[in-house]
Parts: sequence; structure tokens; C-alpha cells
Amino acid sequence: MSDAESEFADGLYEPWLFQTMLAELSKRELGVGFIYSILDQFAKRHELTDVVASLSHESFGNQIFRLGGESVSAEMAVRFAGEPGVYCEPDIVPAVECDAVRTACQLAFSLHHARFSATHDPLTNISNRRSFDEALEMSAARSARYNWTFTVVIVDLNDFKLVNDRSGHEFGDNVLRQFGFALRQAVRQGDTAARIGGDEFAVILSNAEGHEASGFTERLRGLLASSNVRVEFTTGTATSPRDSTDPSELLRIADGRLYEKKGMRNS
Amino acid sequence: MMSRTEEDFELELRSLQGVLNVGLTYLDNGDVDVVTLVVNTKDPSITQNVASQIASLYYPEAKVIVDGTSHLLSLQRQPGSRVAFVRADYDAKEGTCEVQLTIDGRVGIGRAGSGPLIGGAEATLGALRDLGYDVPFSLLTVTNVTNGRDWPVVVTLRSNANNGDRFGIAKADDDMVSAAKATLDSLNRFIATSNER
Repeated sequence: MSDAESEFADGLYEPWLFQTMLAELSKRELGVGFIYSILDQFAKRHELTDVVASLSHESFGNQIFRLGGESVSAEMAVRFAGEPGVYCEPDIVPAVECDAVRTACQLAFSLHHARFSATHDPLTNISNRRSFDEALEMSAARSARYNWTFTVVIVDLNDFKLVNDRSGHEFGDNVLRQFGFALRQAVRQGDTAARIGGDEFAVILSNAEGHEASGFTERLRGLLASSNVRVEFTTGTATSPRDSTDPSELLRIADGRLYEKKGMRNS
Repeated sequence: MMSRTEEDFELELRSLQGVLNVGLTYLDNGDVDVVTLVVNTKDPSITQNVASQIASLYYPEAKVIVDGTSHLLSLQRQPGSRVAFVRADYDAKEGTCEVQLTIDGRVGIGRAGSGPLIGGAEATLGALRDLGYDVPFSLLTVTNVTNGRDWPVVVTLRSNANNGDRFGIAKADDDMVSAAKATLDSLNRFIATSNER
């Protein structure tokens, strides 16, 4: 047996951990689900009754994960929140292995967050511009190939600058967040809602003709009214393949219609 | 196995300010029944409102319970002194790093060559020794997870005594600071219990 093999055999590199990670990666990407899966396998391996992983995250601060996704008590949270580590009951596992498990969990958490923040707007948690552009390209390609219909709706908040100027940016951010919530509720499963600029949002309505967008705007108005968000908005739409199957052209048409409506409103 | 939607749901809840833990219980049909959050904020009702809104998007029927810890944290004994990272500088011309750490008003400085990753970790060990710690570990590996910028750095230290390894992970604005913080992360238990200073 070579030195490297004997090190593996001694468990220094926790081969089960690497096997677990590889198995997980063959099914999907590392993320929150991986953390629970690894805690579960760690518990079975050592016949543990309870495992808590305390991780630290640059953006989120300390985070506690418990075997089986169970909640911890406030007392327990206080006990574990201060010191990142893996705590198990009974405490029979070598610290080296606990450290290795914590590092793997920490990595999965960081990767999940990096993936999520690469595609989502941090304020509203809906898709960001990049993710919207990708979805639009995909929808347009499908539309050109199979003649599938979809409608792009650009939603612009009216006089949002005044909200910021009069009530401050914190209030303005809260309005945007609430608007994002309402937008997510107003779209159907399979639609895409995104924040594509400061106070500009866009939605891809799958299998929808232009006139069907009115159902979406009605839902959105109703949701805003029920959540007491006092903000008005204007929309512009473009439908593929009727208007175009080119993503940039669709956005240009929807934008043009939006500004036409805005012009009418201002005059 | 958790679905991608469930994972994102939990991540979104965990990204709320002050959330320490998220617990989920399920109905027989697999939908989420109750979401329990343990939070450390002055006003848990704000978290309750936002968490309820998030839950309503994913699982409209789910109940949200928020449990605060701030009353318990105030009863906790004051934590002991901790080693804190102060700053790190990289001399690109020479390829050397300088890391400064502090504890109880004292400052330790460590310097090392070998670029921002290995140099950042070695300079951190040097700064700890400068603070008077007898650090019985040697540097084994420093790895940037994707070999790209701004991704987590994993540091492995090997114990001089028993060949056991310790791992640390951190992500900061640049590789050198990530390496320095990951080194501290790998030694957090050792530093917390060490009297050798």
C-alpha cells in the first residue's frame, strides 16, 4: 500500500465524505440539501442521535443546521451560534472528522449562495437582468422554432423618484421589495419575473397573447392594493412570434409601447 | 431529497437579517406545514412579516413561527478576548504579504512570500506567533475553490503532534484576505482554548 493509500485508509482525508460529495454532485449541485444529506450520513455512520452544524457566512452571519432540518431551541441557538463547528450527540467523533464535515457544509452553503445571488436581484429576490435575458433568449428561440406564443411585459413604476426623494431610500427600497413580492405572486408557475433596472421590472408570460397580459396586470394591481403598497405602474407589452422573435426587438417594442402610454399619461 | 425549490426557500429565509436557524415540518402530501425561525434581532415581528410573505409565495398554507434569542444573548456571559483580523497588504512587486492581527489591544504582524494565497496563510500563522501563540500546526494546502476571483478559499493545516488536519474556509474581497481569514477559521477552536500566549 502506498503512503497516499495508507493515509486514505487511516481516514485522514475522510474518503466517505468525498464519496458523498461526488455522489451528490452526480445528482445535483451542492447546496442546502447537501448539508442535510451529509449530516444524515454522518449521523448514520457514527450512530449519532443529534448533529448540529454551526456555519458562518459573510453575508448572513452565523447559521445553524440541525439533522433532519429540525429547528433548534433559542437556548441551543445561543449555545452554538458563537463558534462555527459540528457538534454531535454523543460527542464521540474525532474533531478532525467534524472539521472536515463542517468545511464541506460551509462550501456547499457558499456555493448555493453564490449561485442564487448570480441569478437573483438581492433586494427583491426575483430574477436579475442577466437571468431574465437568458430566459428571454430561450423563450424567443422556442417561439421561433415551434411557433410558441409568449408575451414580454415591461413594468415601470410611476414617479418612483418622488417616492425616494420624499420618503428616503430606505422607504423606497421597501416599496421595491413589496412590489417584488406582489410581482412574484401575480405571475403563474413557469412565468419569469425579474427586476431589470432601478424601478423597472419585466415579466415573461408563457403561452400568453398580448391581450392576456391584462389578467396579469389586474392580479398585480389587486395584490398591491391588498398589501397597502401605494405605487402606480405602467406597462408595455410585446408578443412573440406576432411582433418579433428577436429578443432585443421584443424589448424595444415593449419599451416603445410603455413610453407611449407614459407620454399619454403625462399629457 | 430536498427539491431545488425547497432549498431556495430555505436559503431565502436564511438570508433575512438575524436568522440563525430554519426548521421545517411537513404535511403528509409533502407541503411545508410549519416554518420555525430562530432569530437574533431587536424586533422579531419584522422578520415574522417578511418570512410570512416569503412563505406565502412558496407554501401559502404554511404557518410561520419566530423565536427570538436577544433576551438570552443579553444574559450570556461576555465572550472572552478573541483574535481579530486587522488588515492585510500585498506587495505585488515582491510577491510578499503582511498580515496584522490583534487581541486585547496587542498587535501581531506576520510576513511571508509565495503570493497572496499561501503567503496570506503563512503570514497569518506568523502574526499569531508574533502575538505569542505557540501554533503547533503547519500549512498543508491553500486552495481557491474555483481558481477564480472572489471565491471561497480553503486552508488545510496539519498538526505537528498527530498529523490530524484542520480545515478553514472564508471568502473575502481578495484571495489574500480570504486565505488569512480561512487560516483563522481553521484555528478557531485552538485559539479559543489556547492559554499559550
